Amino acid sequence: MAVPLARRILVYEWRRFLPATISVAFSGVLMIVQGALLLGIVSANALYVTQSGADLWIGFPGTQSADLGRAIDPGIAANLYMDPRIARVEALLLGAGDWRGARGGGTSVTLVGIDPRPDGVGLSKAMSPPVRVLLQEPGAVLVDETDLDKLATDIGQKAEINGHLVRVVGTTRNLRAMGGVNVVASLGTARMLDSAISASDSVTYYLAKVPEPRNISAVHAHLSSIPGSAGFEIWTAGELAGLSVRYWLLESGAGIGFVFATVIAMLVGTLITSQTLMAAVAASITQYATLRALGVSFPELRKIVIEQSGWVGAVGLGMGLVCSLLAAALARLNDIPFELRAGMMLFSAAVVLSVALVAGLLALRRLRHADPAALLR
Amino acid sequence: MLSKSYTVQNIRTDALRDVSLDLWAGELSLIIGPSGCGKSTLLSLMSGLSRPDSGTVYAAGVELSALSDAERDAFRLAHCGFVFQGFNLFPALTALEQVQIPLDYLKVPQDRAARRAAEALDMVGLWHRRHLRPAELSGGEKQRVAIARALVKRPSLLFADEPTSALDSTNGGTVTDLLRRIAHATGAVVACVSHDPRLIARADRVLEMEDGRLLRDRRPAHSEPMEPL
Repeated sequence: MAVPLARRILVYEWRRFLPATISVAFSGVLMIVQGALLLGIVSANALYVTQSGADLWIGFPGTQSADLGRAIDPGIAANLYMDPRIARVEALLLGAGDWRGARGGGTSVTLVGIDPRPDGVGLSKAMSPPVRVLLQEPGAVLVDETDLDKLATDIGQKAEINGHLVRVVGTTRNLRAMGGVNVVASLGTARMLDSAISASDSVTYYLAKVPEPRNISAVHAHLSSIPGSAGFEIWTAGELAGLSVRYWLLESGAGIGFVFATVIAMLVGTLITSQTLMAAVAASITQYATLRALGVSFPELRKIVIEQSGWVGAVGLGMGLVCSLLAAALARLNDIPFELRAGMMLFSAAVVLSVALVAGLLALRRLRHADPAALLR
Repeated sequence: MLSKSYTVQNIRTDALRDVSLDLWAGELSLIIGPSGCGKSTLLSLMSGLSRPDSGTVYAAGVELSALSDAERDAFRLAHCGFVFQGFNLFPALTALEQVQIPLDYLKVPQDRAARRAAEALDMVGLWHRRHLRPAELSGGEKQRVAIARALVKRPSLLFADEPTSALDSTNGGTVTDLLRRIAHATGAVVACVSHDPRLIARADRVLEMEDGRLLRDRRPAHSEPMEPL
């Protein structure tokens, strides 16, 4: 093995490369955590979809986000029930309420009406079947475990929604809304609580379960083609969730603000990384000039710098990843919406690594333009 | 006739004005003169580190001044050894590794490279210090490691830029003797730039420069017998 000059320099002069490594870690963490928080928060608007077990959602045409659904013509139900590929059809209601409890004053809540059968698909991932059947009792509601304090209530306690008495019979998981509060009830209780959806045939969404995944697109196409389909729209669960996230990400002020903050974090991280790495490379410039004098070609020098930048990037990213996972664990402990996605981590890693490499090469430019003889004085 | 000028902040300085000289293999040629007289510029033109504004440089049968940057890199790698005023060793490497570096870039196989590096280090009397890094070596030892690094590729041209100015007289003398012995033993062209007058007695040929011109070219009479390398 030839003398591994790049790594020898890196190991021997690690203090010089430490700031660059830390700044890589810092910008990685900044990007990943900002992105995960952003996704976590905007994903809250798709919670009704992501926490349910339905494959297809049928709702008001042109709905921009799952939480903005409006009442649809219930006539579509017959087509759903008749399709043999659909194993289960269920209604889901979205209403509004004014919660009055122990704290006094009112709190605006979103009412979510679901089918309370134990095998129901609406919000099936947010509660266990035994908790779900408790909703069969009229006036029974569930609130999210993270909202108990906000509503100043607890399991077993009573409150009023729109002047009707309700009792908290249990809690849901992962149903913390962005800003508001989700209160889950049976379809019957929801209709009783909110007069706007009180008609017995009022429905916000129909949820359909298609047991064979390969049938989903066929059912989707079939339903879209039936006469009168202009009165509703059909999405797969993934489509509606994506729609909701994109709507809040790109079209609401909150989302744009957060995207802006993430981009700033990226730029700041990039800038610090490139500056510190350039300083580290520039500090070794006489060593590179010596190699130039010895006849080592510029591409060979570039190899050394790329190898060093690669190591700085890799070690920094490793540190950043560990910190991001710690942040994720911390967020989970505190029920903070935090969506750590592999795609985002790969993207951040790619950005940070490219920054490291480009910064290293930029630092070498000085050497290219300078007379090697002059640098050796 | 070589000329070279530099422009720094719009002020043009003529570092070399119509200098013409031949250097011979197998002897130590010393270029002396006050600082700023152009001797280092001459060295960097002769070694292919930079290109003259006008004139031609021939070295080892090659017209150096006509080569591209990459070709001059390859020429230096193949034929030139350098010894610098500030040693310019790599702080991270041991003495033996320093010496091996040029051979690595010449793609010499590892076992041969290690053997030749060891021989070169032994030649400058530092085999017993082979595992030490520059921070653990004295100034004289550092310069001897640098000479071994220049020597290891068996260069036909060896350039030394003020090799003794950071050393005391004893170490300076050792280093100069070493350079001269290398010239005699290997038949290389050894060119040394210095403003240190103590070196004159040890050189085979002395070229005096001033204001970018060559003033005098003489051969001091030698009394000191040379030991074989």
